Amino acid sequence: MAHPLQLGFQDAASPVMEELLHFHDHALMVVFLISTLVLYIILAMISTKLTNKFILDSQEIEIIWTVLPAVILILIALPSLRILYLMDEINDPHLTIKAVGHQWYWSYEYTDYEDLGFDSYMIPTQDLAPGQFRLLEADHRMVVPVESPLRVLVTAEDVLHSWAVPALGVKMDAVPGRLNQTAFITSRPGIFYGQCSEICGANHSFMPIVVEAVPLEHFETWSSLMLEDA
Amino acid sequence: MAGEEEEPKSKGFRLLGILDVQNTPCSRDAILHGAGGSVTAGLLHFLATSRVRRSFDVGFAGFMLTTLGSWLYCRMNNAKLRVQQRMIQDGIKNQIVYEGTSRDPANKPEAGTPSGPS
Repeated sequence: MAHPLQLGFQDAASPVMEELLHFHDHALMVVFLISTLVLYIILAMISTKLTNKFILDSQEIEIIWTVLPAVILILIALPSLRILYLMDEINDPHLTIKAVGHQWYWSYEYTDYEDLGFDSYMIPTQDLAPGQFRLLEADHRMVVPVESPLRVLVTAEDVLHSWAVPALGVKMDAVPGRLNQTAFITSRPGIFYGQCSEICGANHSFMPIVVEAVPLEHFETWSSLMLEDA
Repeated sequence: MAGEEEEPKSKGFRLLGILDVQNTPCSRDAILHGAGGSVTAGLLHFLATSRVRRSFDVGFAGFMLTTLGSWLYCRMNNAKLRVQQRMIQDGIKNQIVYEGTSRDPANKPEAGTPSGPS
C-alpha cells in the first residue's frame, strides 16, 4: 500500500505493473538526461563571452535539434507501445468477477460457478482494529486466487466510478449501463488497496477497493464459507 | 499491517529531484559510468587541445553518451533476466501442477509403458 510522503509507485504485484515500473524508470532516466542537458546549456549561455546579434540561420544546429528529439521520442515510444500491446493480450481468464460501483461502496459478484455476491463497504475510522489502515480497509475484500489470470467486468449502478488498484496496475472506469473489461494476474499473495478514482459524490473518497490474493485452496475455502453465509 | 514493515526502503537520494539513484535498478551504475566517461573524455580533450571550455563541452557530451549507453545495456540485460526468470517460474509451476500426469513436461513416453495415472 502507499506510505506517507511517497513519491514513487507502489511495489508491483502483477507482471503488467512490473513492466510499467520498468518503463517509468526508463522514461525518467531520459527525462533526467534532458534536464541535465538543458541545465548545462543554460549555464553555458549565461557564462559565454561569445555574442553574435546577427545570426540568421544555422543548418547544423537545426538538423541536430530536429533529429535528436525524434530519436528520443522513438527511444520512449518503442517500450511504451510494447507495454500497450502486452496489456491487450488475450489471457484466457480462469475466473470472471464483476465489480459494480454504487454510491458509495463496491459490490462484487462471482457468478462463474455459484451465485456469490457481496458488498464491500469502507470500515469507518472509529471501527478500525489496531494496525488497520484508515480510509483503505473494507469489511469484505475481493478475494482472488494468486497467479491465476482473472477478468474483472466493471460497471456502475448509479454514477461514474472507477475501479483502481495501483499495485496491480489496474484502473477501469465504471460507467452505468456499460461493462468495461480489465484483466490481471497477481504475482504474489498479499492484500492490495485501491480507491475509487472517479468523482462520484460526497463519499467518493470513502469507497476503497481491497483485493486479497490467496492460494487456490484458500480461495476455495473462502468461497465456500461465503456461500454458506449468504 | 502498520508498524510491521519488513525492511525500511532506503529513502533514496534523487538526482535533480528526479532520479532515485538508490532504488532504481541500473541507475547508480549508469550515473557512475557516465561520470567516469565524462571525466575521461574531458581530460583527454583538454590534454590534446588545451581548450578549457570546449573540454567541458566534450566532457558533458561524454557523460550523456556514456550514461545512456550504460543504462540501455544494463536495462536490456535486466529485461532478458526477467524474461528468463518468468520462464523458469512458469516451468517450476507447470512441473508441480502436472507432475505424475500425462502432461508432465519431464515425461518421456516409452513404447509399451502406460504414462500417467491409470
